[in-house]
Amino acid sequence: MILDPILDIFRGRAVTIPPLDGAFRPNTRLDDAPAFAELSEPDNLLVSGDRLIASSGNAIYSIGVGAAPVVVETFPSPVRALALSPSGELTVGLESGKLLIAGKEVALSADVRCITALAYANDGTLWLANGSAEHAPSQWAADLMKKGASGSLWRRDAASGAFRKVAGDIAFPYGLHPIGKDVLVSESWRHQLVRFDGETGNRSRVLAHLPGYPARLSPSPDGGAWLTLFAPRNRLIEFVLQETHYRQDMLEQVPPAYWIAPALASSRSFLEPLQCGGIRTMGIHKPWSPSRSYGLVVRLDREMQPQFSLHSRANGTRHGICSVAEKDGRLFIASRGGDCVLAIDLASGGF
Amino acid sequence: MSFRERLQSWRYNLVPDHLVGEILTKRWTDNAIPFLALVVTLATFGSVIPGFFKLTSLQESTRQLGEFSMVVTGMTVVMLGGGIDLSVGSIFALSCFSAVYVFFILEQSIWLALAASIATGLVFGAINGYLVGYLRLRAFLTTLVTFIFGRALFDILVTTYAADVQLSTATSDVLDFIGDSTFWGLSVSVWLAIILAIVTHIALTRSRPGWHVLAVGGSRRSAHNAGIRVRRTVFMTYVFSGFCASIGGFLIACRLSGAGPGTGLNLEIMALTAAVVGGVSLGGGRGSVIKGLMGAIIVLTMTNGLIRLGYGTGTNQMVLGIMLAVAVTIDIRWLKNRHKVLNEVYVAPVYLKMGATQSAAPGSGTPYELDNRLSAADHIGLGELEGPEDVILDRDDNLYCGTRHGEIVRFFAPDYVRSEVFAHIGGFPLGLAFDKAGNLISCVGAMGLYSVSPDREVKRLSAETSRSWTSIVDDARLRDPNDCDIAPDGRIYFTDSTKRYDAHDWALDSIENRATGRLLVYDPKDGSTKTLLDGYRYTNGVCMAHDGKSLFFAESWACRVHRYWLEGPKAGTAECVIRDMPGYPDNINRASDGNYWMAWLGMRTPSFDLSLRHPDMRKRMTRRLPQDEWLFPNINTGGVVKFNEKGGIVEAMGDLPGGAHPMVTSMREHKGYLFVGGILNNRIGRYRISGADPNWTSPASYWGARP
Repeated sequence: MILDPILDIFRGRAVTIPPLDGAFRPNTRLDDAPAFAELSEPDNLLVSGDRLIASSGNAIYSIGVGAAPVVVETFPSPVRALALSPSGELTVGLESGKLLIAGKEVALSADVRCITALAYANDGTLWLANGSAEHAPSQWAADLMKKGASGSLWRRDAASGAFRKVAGDIAFPYGLHPIGKDVLVSESWRHQLVRFDGETGNRSRVLAHLPGYPARLSPSPDGGAWLTLFAPRNRLIEFVLQETHYRQDMLEQVPPAYWIAPALASSRSFLEPLQCGGIRTMGIHKPWSPSRSYGLVVRLDREMQPQFSLHSRANGTRHGICSVAEKDGRLFIASRGGDCVLAIDLASGGF
Repeated sequence: MSFRERLQSWRYNLVPDHLVGEILTKRWTDNAIPFLALVVTLATFGSVIPGFFKLTSLQESTRQLGEFSMVVTGMTVVMLGGGIDLSVGSIFALSCFSAVYVFFILEQSIWLALAASIATGLVFGAINGYLVGYLRLRAFLTTLVTFIFGRALFDILVTTYAADVQLSTATSDVLDFIGDSTFWGLSVSVWLAIILAIVTHIALTRSRPGWHVLAVGGSRRSAHNAGIRVRRTVFMTYVFSGFCASIGGFLIACRLSGAGPGTGLNLEIMALTAAVVGGVSLGGGRGSVIKGLMGAIIVLTMTNGLIRLGYGTGTNQMVLGIMLAVAVTIDIRWLKNRHKVLNEVYVAPVYLKMGATQSAAPGSGTPYELDNRLSAADHIGLGELEGPEDVILDRDDNLYCGTRHGEIVRFFAPDYVRSEVFAHIGGFPLGLAFDKAGNLISCVGAMGLYSVSPDREVKRLSAETSRSWTSIVDDARLRDPNDCDIAPDGRIYFTDSTKRYDAHDWALDSIENRATGRLLVYDPKDGSTKTLLDGYRYTNGVCMAHDGKSLFFAESWACRVHRYWLEGPKAGTAECVIRDMPGYPDNINRASDGNYWMAWLGMRTPSFDLSLRHPDMRKRMTRRLPQDEWLFPNINTGGVVKFNEKGGIVEAMGDLPGGAHPMVTSMREHKGYLFVGGILNNRIGRYRISGADPNWTSPASYWGARP
């Protein structure tokens, strides 16, 4: 309607989010998949030789077929990022802001306190995503609700051994996918994938208007990639992000677990916020209802465009997926909200 | 409390925003825009043109207005029937010529001239009506053709006979009287216009043919399906329009004693503008004669005023065109968006700071601590039932509940497998109670208080109370009767939760949080209903105390339980006995151990409590988000709480995973079992209470052992 721009000044614009359509069309594939292993809040997955490595809490586990996860190593603070160098050195980022390469601590700039992702390029360059300059990785929700955009991207050349800041002012970089000299970064709070030039740090948007908050990226053997989205976009949350006073009061007075904010799992306590569509009616929790948590893994093709996706919908439990790893035609999926690692056979998956 | 918060509380609690929405629900707001336009037009030209309201000036204007408003009345009727008549100008002119021809050239009586005039109008109206109504041609094009044809015919006739008319010597007192004199201060044309308007108004609003016209205009297909003869109705509207135009033509013939090339020129545009500006919808079905008349006055004042200010015909036409464009835009936009505007404006949240509460979380150690006991309840009617808000058992252990289909379902003892529809009431049966004679009394959401006798006869007891003086929306009507209970003397105490929303929109009331809940009493002796208390935030469950001297009632959105005294020193007053609970209370019922059961329909969440202190945020939320996305109290977890006579909490139980009883709206103890209902659930739960009296029943507790 032609009068809308004028009326919007008085009544405010409707809050909208991208629909789950096209490559994002919902399915229940994540909830249908069998649990490969039970693990509390598995965060980062990695394939090392024949083993599948997962981080959970302060420890790193090795998961084999048909056996309970085995602790490989424990750390003084929770593990937040994992990577494996081309020469096989396990690289670990901790909640405390420390970076360990093959067990040895590496000196970092004082600005790096929130390691969210690590990745090695083929030439041995190590990329590091620093989610926020103000918050630790576990305080990501506060960073989002304070509209943080203080993340930065760092690189360490295999030769020099020192970290260099490539770009700053990124709204929570949460995933890294090196492409040649460049790197693809998932910028979570802006719901987009951005490609950064490896030398100059110039950025170009590759994929925008994602229906969720993107988390880690992991390579696929055919040159494509897997993108995880750890939480869905929600119109109420986007609305609260525009409500300055309410948001400030909420940050000050409400415990973080009960914020109107994205979550890795939801409906666990009656103190959590509820939206009208999420009301259980006649014993049914509608799968399309608005939710603070969701499970979503997206397959990207060589041009980094979405091909198809795997879902756990509002009534599912395999929510909060931050990392996947592909190995020998199987996709391993770590669901932090569902406390399990899933395995999906890609060959027979009907994709 | 911060200064900003204090300002918010003043702004949203003292300024009555909700009145805007309530006024918009009134049908008469449709008239407001044309009426304002009328006042503005009159005021503007009245002040700009000196002597605009002088009697002589008015006399001439009103004569013109009389003729014009008749044409507009005809046009209005056609438009109400879903059509349009562009040929009124040419019918008007031809009727004028017919009268002039018969009177001046044939020198017949004035009455014959009138008859000729009317005949002309009817014939042309019938042609239009036949083409549009029976042959179903497009109204716009058809009447455009008749307009061009009629105009051409008139031009030929006028030029042919102009000289003859001039030379005629025919005179008539009647003609002079109609054309020049006044009767009780008003000219004949005005009198006729008034009479026509009144008759048409009555016909449209109070007669079968009038209703048919409105029905056809509103929805042609529905009218056809309802058995209305659509084609004939459409035909008749054009004939009527032709008739109106012909009377107008006759009157101008009398006034000018002749017909000239300018007679009826541009009349169709003026009449159309008048009708649309007045608020008669182009889409049909909406409008009234009064609106048409308002439009006629606006248009005529405007055109005459502009002429007297010295503007030419061109300006006049342009102003008419602009008015038509604006009116059409407003008409279409308003019609299309009225309900949207209403939806956006109606929810008017208020400020409330909820008191701090004890935790109900498992492991918190408070008396409110919820557990998972209700998950273990057996289910009755799983999948068959939809929405048993309240449950009750009779002396023979049969179980009754309401459903969202408006039925009372009875499950047969002892296993509650077999069920039947006990009675169909309609609405949404909520609270239930048995009276002494065994009648089942039910508060029916959106309807009122009903009684179902043991032989299934449904009787309405009450659907209204007295209206309060300051209400805009009629608050006498019971919108959300919620729960009832019966005093020993037979009087039925019941709650009406909100005046602002209908029963199915109860959730909206929680967002708004305005205190409009009432406690009422129905007296079976004289059938009267009285309001006892008003101004609570969603009054809900009612329960007579064990001694029958007071009653408890729940105030849901404030998380409080009050006690209302029926007798004793505090009779007629209420006191709060439980405040600041962590859950929202629903129905209350007696327990066998002398305590009371209370259902919790949902739990308070910190985020929603905080939003109650941000009414501006809630208001924007209702405007900018669809309802499914709105923040709500957490009604996916409820519970059952037992409290004692003094308001102390004895115990609480729940179903935290929510698989069986997420939202609990009622519970009833019977022979050692607790029967649990939920308005959004698809089952009734039966839970064995450990240590409860296995012989205690509610009917016996209220009315003694079986007589």
